[in-house]
Amino acid sequence: MASSKSLMNLLTFTFGSAIGFFVCYLLFSIILEEQVKIQPHILHNDPHGQHSADTDNNQLQGQMNFNADFGQHKDENKNIAEGLYQKVKILCWVMTGPQNLEKKAKHVKATWAQRCNKILFMSSEENKDFPTVGLETKEGRDQLYWKTIKAFQYVYDHYFDDADWFMKADDDTYVILDNLRWLLSKYSPEQPIYFGRRFKPYVKQGYMSGGAGYVLSKEALKRFVAAFKMNKCSHSSSIEDLALGKCMEIINVEAGDSRDTSGRETFHPFVPEHHLIIGYLPKTFWYWNYNYYPAVEGPGCCSDLAVSFHYVDSVTMYHLEYLIYHLRPYGYLYRYNPDSAKNPEEQSKNEAEEDNQKLKQKISEN
Amino acid sequence: EDAGEARALYERVRILCWVMTGPRTLETKARHVRATWARHCNVALFMSSEVDERFPAVGLPVQEGRHQLYWKTIRAFQYVHRHHLGQADWFLKADDDTFLVVANLRWLLAGRSPERPIYFGKRFKPFVKQGYMSGGAGYVLSKEALRRLVAAFASRTCTHTSAVEDLALGQCLEKVGVEAGDSRDTWGRETFHPFPPESHLTDKFSQSFWYWSYCYYPIVE
Repeated sequence: MASSKSLMNLLTFTFGSAIGFFVCYLLFSIILEEQVKIQPHILHNDPHGQHSADTDNNQLQGQMNFNADFGQHKDENKNIAEGLYQKVKILCWVMTGPQNLEKKAKHVKATWAQRCNKILFMSSEENKDFPTVGLETKEGRDQLYWKTIKAFQYVYDHYFDDADWFMKADDDTYVILDNLRWLLSKYSPEQPIYFGRRFKPYVKQGYMSGGAGYVLSKEALKRFVAAFKMNKCSHSSSIEDLALGKCMEIINVEAGDSRDTSGRETFHPFVPEHHLIIGYLPKTFWYWNYNYYPAVEGPGCCSDLAVSFHYVDSVTMYHLEYLIYHLRPYGYLYRYNPDSAKNPEEQSKNEAEEDNQKLKQKISEN
Repeated sequence: EDAGEARALYERVRILCWVMTGPRTLETKARHVRATWARHCNVALFMSSEVDERFPAVGLPVQEGRHQLYWKTIRAFQYVHRHHLGQADWFLKADDDTFLVVANLRWLLAGRSPERPIYFGKRFKPFVKQGYMSGGAGYVLSKEALRRLVAAFASRTCTHTSAVEDLALGQCLEKVGVEAGDSRDTWGRETFHPFPPESHLTDKFSQSFWYWSYCYYPIVE
């Protein structure tokens, strides 16, 4: 019949054009993909389209040996830093785990860890290739304190005599060792004291934030290890930094003030942006109530001689390494003597005297 | 901290920076440029399509939009030439999402004469024989280069050929004999960067990414 035939025709037509559209769509999407590559100007002024999110760890293939080219900085005067390296010996141990070796710990190893006098990576399992120390614990947040105790125990047993100060950091902490040495150079490792980002609740003298890293003096380490043998401190807690802080108070290890001579914080529980940008951290955030000293946001938040940042992802490790140890504005002589900043006249007088002395020495040598 | 050398360069190598912005991004982006690196320029101007007395921003006779970028650039350089030529030796264009380390730019330009027709930036190779400079990474013209650019438009040697600002400018500058300079440092490393540091330091750009075929000098990751 005529109507069913035309219906068939209509159906065939519809079906045919559907297939046609589908095929065209496929073709166009393939062609357009090619075109996007040929029309890069669209991406030109929009590089953010190409800049992948920080969490995309696929982009970071392998570590980078940042400081391999020593020749590039050969005109840099590192005398003070090298002197401090000999005088203030720091052993760093980094809290990590088997699942984070490649993702996180590797980048710590490639950047700041090399500046420690001794560096150890603490994991629940031993790994001879990385290498990591096996603490023979389980992994997990509730194991953190137990891992910390065992890590310090291991350090005490094997490396006690090799360092004056013992720093704990996470595998997402970035530590500026040179500034840490500057901070510690004014204290004796025989003092029972420890430093970090001081928090005020729960512990009378305050306790140090775990993530921002904390550093124990030799005496503090000795007392800490002894405290467990004598059962003065409890072994179990799910909050590592708090438990350590409580123990420190019990064994009379002082919670030190790590701020610089202008009163600015040096250990930071977050990355620089979180502290530098006013209003970044909401006023209801726990941070404001935890800080022992009045918390500052904006440019006064952070010392020029900052020691640590936390929640630093792998990409930011290299970013910080570049900004701190490589990028420089030309034309500034960084002759840093912060304690004398208060009296510049006296400082230049002292420096002139120093120079005179050196000259006299040179002349007498000749 | 001894900033003596930096201050000396500030007097000797005078840089005028003009920042490409617009009414909608004045408060969201340009403001932060003004609060940070723009302070180090000898003169800093913010170029928009609308005048803003308070900011302050210059109102150019153009419309907003990507297709107007080259017009904005031409008008901006003409404005600078008419009102500020005597105040600087070098004339830099940047976007409101570009970060400049001005002290290092001065070091780069310190050994050069602003009377020579030359300009610097992140050099790209396609389309223009001597290469052209990436718009987003910022580029800086010598005084002579600026004079030639403005004269070229006055005499119609150059016209508005395309909306692709950096490419069109590069073509014009080549036409009037302005040299595309090599801005790399003494170890051959790039100083102008079209992406943020993290990208250059850690990203592995895929082989098909346009960047590979654009860079004038070999890319180092």
